Amino acid sequence: MGFNGIEGAINVPGEIPWEIVVLYFLGALLFVVYYGRKTGGLRSFTTIDLVYIGIGGAFSVVWEFYIGSFLGRFLPSTPFVSVGFWGRLIIVFIIAALVRKVGAGMFTLLVYNLLGDLFHYGFGGEPMYFIYESLTYGLFVDIMIAVTGGHLFGIGKELSNGAGEATATRTTTILGVIQGAILGLTWAIPDPVFYSAFFSPFLYGSYVNWAHILFNLGAFMPGDIVMGILASILAVRIARAVGQ
Amino acid sequence: MSLITTLISWFLFFYGVGFPVLLIVSVVRLKGFMEITRYESGTGFMYRVNPVTKVLLGLAVMGVASTTVWWIGALLTLAISLVYLTLRDGVRKLVYLSVVLVSSLISSMWSVAPYVTPSILELAFPHQNLVTVWTWPSYFEVMGYQPNLTLQALMYGLQIGFRVTAVLASALILVLTTTTSDIFRMFTKLRAPLSLTFSLLVGVRTVPRIFELLDSSVKMQFIRGLGRGKPRIVYPFLLLYSAILALVPTMVYLLRGAKTMAISADTRGFRASPRRTEIVELGFRKEDYVIFGVVVGLILLAIVANLLGFGRSVPYLGV
Repeated sequence: MGFNGIEGAINVPGEIPWEIVVLYFLGALLFVVYYGRKTGGLRSFTTIDLVYIGIGGAFSVVWEFYIGSFLGRFLPSTPFVSVGFWGRLIIVFIIAALVRKVGAGMFTLLVYNLLGDLFHYGFGGEPMYFIYESLTYGLFVDIMIAVTGGHLFGIGKELSNGAGEATATRTTTILGVIQGAILGLTWAIPDPVFYSAFFSPFLYGSYVNWAHILFNLGAFMPGDIVMGILASILAVRIARAVGQ
Repeated sequence: MSLITTLISWFLFFYGVGFPVLLIVSVVRLKGFMEITRYESGTGFMYRVNPVTKVLLGLAVMGVASTTVWWIGALLTLAISLVYLTLRDGVRKLVYLSVVLVSSLISSMWSVAPYVTPSILELAFPHQNLVTVWTWPSYFEVMGYQPNLTLQALMYGLQIGFRVTAVLASALILVLTTTTSDIFRMFTKLRAPLSLTFSLLVGVRTVPRIFELLDSSVKMQFIRGLGRGKPRIVYPFLLLYSAILALVPTMVYLLRGAKTMAISADTRGFRASPRRTEIVELGFRKEDYVIFGVVVGLILLAIVANLLGFGRSVPYLGV
């Protein structure tokens, strides 16, 4: 029994070897540092980006801890539905779509985690959670921003291939929806895999059941994909309403 | 007989999920959330304490609540709640806090108790016979419910709940009694990057603002005729429904306002130089030393409790 009940178990049967976890996070961190240096990192955010990120963090906290958590209790506990998580997914995607710079995803999740600590957890799981959440969920969003060259969900992209404007808009929308779906899919992975197969036994000494993990992985995907698509559509609308 | 069992089971199900929500929407409302997440100036003891000390106190409370037996967590919750009386409008804040704590206790108890397996309960309550208090209809297993609800499962849920409430009550004290600028200074002192601190502070200020804006948006929907002529009993549901509808407008409103905030920060020379210059220095006063004493006391309490066998008896496995 360690501090805050952290067991530190790294030899539970079926648990992902800690070397792999460390390698992933080190690799992710190196990638972030490398990319951050290349693009200017924290300095490249303008003040308004920082305000967007702060608002996004606050919204995620309000949704996940106060509104979504109560709504979620009305539904039976099933891995297919996760009201609190979906809300955060949509909010983070919207903020990423407004900022559209590499680092936006990670930074939003970092701020969300710190705000969650200030308002709810009291720094209970730190620094574990902000490393884990930023470098999984946040990183996936940032990779998508990098891949799309800063035109997440097709925002701000000019298509001039000779086709009419309506066709171009439709193509952008379809591309945006596909990006949302892919991002939603990636968001379904960390919780069942990293959390159930490493952090949960590491922190609380729980046992690992891969059948359960694979089931959860499959169960998380449809909902997260649908929410990713919804988020991409909402993000485009909000970006337009905010005047980008 | 089975009809009665079904009715009672569903009543218990809706009690677990519905009662905390009902309590929140009827007593605290969005306005109450705004009040217990926002700084208001005051002269009480906690207002004079350095924010770093308050974070330290929160950490100590968390450490003690999670390493000792549940009733120490319950006593800590009570003690911290009483501190709310020293805040501005203390009684009202205490009422809001109590409702939030009670509903959080009920909901965390009911989100754990029906699902916890007997094998975990045997770890938590060794050498005890599990006392069944209710047998669910078999189809409740679809929701992941265990076949029987035992007394120990309820206690297990309650014990986890008390750990959460102690931390929640102490975490909110920091945001209730510290000005945003002081939180900013605290993070600057802790050498956090300026951009991070800024975003965080925008967040701290935005949380109560979101409740305020949601509240106005909900009220506007009612003024425009939502729920006219409907029976009062559906009002809580309408409130929830209107709160969901209020989300996107609130978000757009806040994000549009972001520009003003960014411009006002930029005109004040934000990030013009890599470090901030300080006019007000955050220092430690005698109130801080009192809290340091409390923190040391809490740590000693945790050690003594563990030595006397009142250590953490609940293996929290995150059901």
